[in-house]
Amino acid sequence: MARLRLRYYAVQNVPLLLSLGLFVAMVILYIILFALKQSRLPGAFELLTTVNNTLSVGLSAIGQTFVVLTGGIDLSVGGIVDVTNSVAARYMGDSPGSIALVSLATLAVGAFAGLTNGLLVVYGRLQPIIVTLATLAIWEGIALLVLPQQGGSIPPALTAILAGTLPFLTWLPNSVIIAVLLVAGWQLLRSTPFLTGVYAIGNDERAARANGISVARAKLGAYTLAGTCAGAAGLYFAAANTSGDATSGTPFTLTSIAAVVLGGVSLFGGRGSAIGSLAGAFILTLLLNVLFFAGVNTQLQEFFQGLFLILAVVASTLVRRSLQRAR
Amino acid sequence: MMNVNALRAERGTLLAFAAAIALVIVGGIYRPSFVQPENLATLLLLASFIGIAAAGQTFVVLIGGIDLSVPWVLNAMAILLTTTSLGQNDRAWWAVPLALGAGVLAGALNGLGIVLFDIPPVVMTLAMNGIMEGLVLGLTGGFTCGACNSYAPPAIVWLFTAKPIPGVANGLLLWALIAAGVGVVLSLTLLGRRIYALGNNPLATYLSGIDTRAVTVIVYALSGFFAAIAGFGLAAFGQQATLGMGDPFLFDSIAAVVIGGASILGGKGNYWGSVAGAIFLIVLRSVLQEYNIGEAGRSIASGVVILIALLLYGRQRAEF
Repeated sequence: MARLRLRYYAVQNVPLLLSLGLFVAMVILYIILFALKQSRLPGAFELLTTVNNTLSVGLSAIGQTFVVLTGGIDLSVGGIVDVTNSVAARYMGDSPGSIALVSLATLAVGAFAGLTNGLLVVYGRLQPIIVTLATLAIWEGIALLVLPQQGGSIPPALTAILAGTLPFLTWLPNSVIIAVLLVAGWQLLRSTPFLTGVYAIGNDERAARANGISVARAKLGAYTLAGTCAGAAGLYFAAANTSGDATSGTPFTLTSIAAVVLGGVSLFGGRGSAIGSLAGAFILTLLLNVLFFAGVNTQLQEFFQGLFLILAVVASTLVRRSLQRAR
Repeated sequence: MMNVNALRAERGTLLAFAAAIALVIVGGIYRPSFVQPENLATLLLLASFIGIAAAGQTFVVLIGGIDLSVPWVLNAMAILLTTTSLGQNDRAWWAVPLALGAGVLAGALNGLGIVLFDIPPVVMTLAMNGIMEGLVLGLTGGFTCGACNSYAPPAIVWLFTAKPIPGVANGLLLWALIAAGVGVVLSLTLLGRRIYALGNNPLATYLSGIDTRAVTVIVYALSGFFAAIAGFGLAAFGQQATLGMGDPFLFDSIAAVVIGGASILGGKGNYWGSVAGAIFLIVLRSVLQEYNIGEAGRSIASGVVILIALLLYGRQRAEF
């Protein structure tokens, strides 16, 4: 009985376990290659840059997770990152009040964009992939109106808070603390009726509806949270780069989906975890670092990322099939 | 039931054509030169590139899939054509089949990944897009190679831009030919029947003994094929291939299909709708340009138009 339950758990969580395993493997590979090339182990500085470079993708991937769990997909992530990135870079002043106000405003813009997607999907009864393709174009356009030329500025104080270290804990990047808080926040949310509803409608929308779950509320919540996370990603990206660019968010649509897939979240909905997606975002960054230290031509990056994505999905499928056969 | 669905697709086609004509009139009111035949012929030629790429996307959407690899398959094949033919006709006779074949291969690989390993189409084609982009950048050294500045072979330029019939570029005739071919395949052949069947109900199609895997692979291969032709056309129109020339085609190829009234869930729609959608998109943008609306405004308008089209005829039935 216990063995059966263990196997059941393993079959149910193969993708997450695989993705965490892949994450650990990539960390080890990175450390080995780094040590071979630099004759020392990676230290606090490497930790800081790696996590800082990953966190914006990680935030957008966590947002993407909510939508993918409902069985949808959000292609507008890149546009929301564009517009929030532009808003932050254009309007943020150096005073603490301005920093706080504009930071909240970027999150609000993200939430509004996500809510719009949700309303169109739920009450417009439209397909998520097309709705978000359309809103992607709309937000990309609005971002260009907000910040026609790249530039703007982000106050150093915000960059220090989001992408620096605490004065008394210089070995521990603030971005690591933020990542830990995100994981903790996800775990808290995991047991709420809201997220249970999101999982339920992703698994079987009719059954969820028949069991009294408000599909509309769960979906609206999922899309709004996705937009908010994309907004946070845009803000973080601006802070980490200390300036804005109305087109810098475009790759986030693709990387957020890649991170979610590498994180073992099922694109068919109902299965997966934002922890996996965050790990997926780290896998993408570590892959680039590993390729760099392996001396691979950086122009081939997209090639290896694409190949890696396919191989990861194929491996996951093969493992799941063999486990199901064993059962 | 069938009639309602057919009607919906027809409605999309008719609405998109009507809206395009209305926009042409609006453009003509603002600037009479806009409705000159030469200008309209140029707009149609520009629409043909979207339309040809959308032919592949139409096949894929009809079976309920989606092809996000169009931008870089298109771009890669245009670059493969110019860098292997070096702008010479006597190399084009093998360079053209080579690039077409590579496009078909990329598409077929999409299909194989989807049917053999259950990879969701979004992920498979997304990854293929990255693979093509990386290959192009890596193999051309970031487009710094000696052959990278080559022109499209004169034969291909002739095929798309020459005007043996005064005022009508060959590219338009080619597009008409493709439209007729796609129309025949979709409505008169066994493959066409199977494509609609697969899009409407994959399980029932499989259970009725149809090799749904083969149909899927063929459909994605066709998408790669048409992306390559669209790439040739763009390279011919601009004389050269450039990096990123395919990027707008992710949005445009899907938008044309959706504006034309096809259901993104598969099984409903036809290529005439996509033709109308492609023409509408180009006319919309050029009218906005006439009114001095910049890139940002045109992007917003394109998005809003898709939402309007969806709300008019893309809604699902309510669930209770």
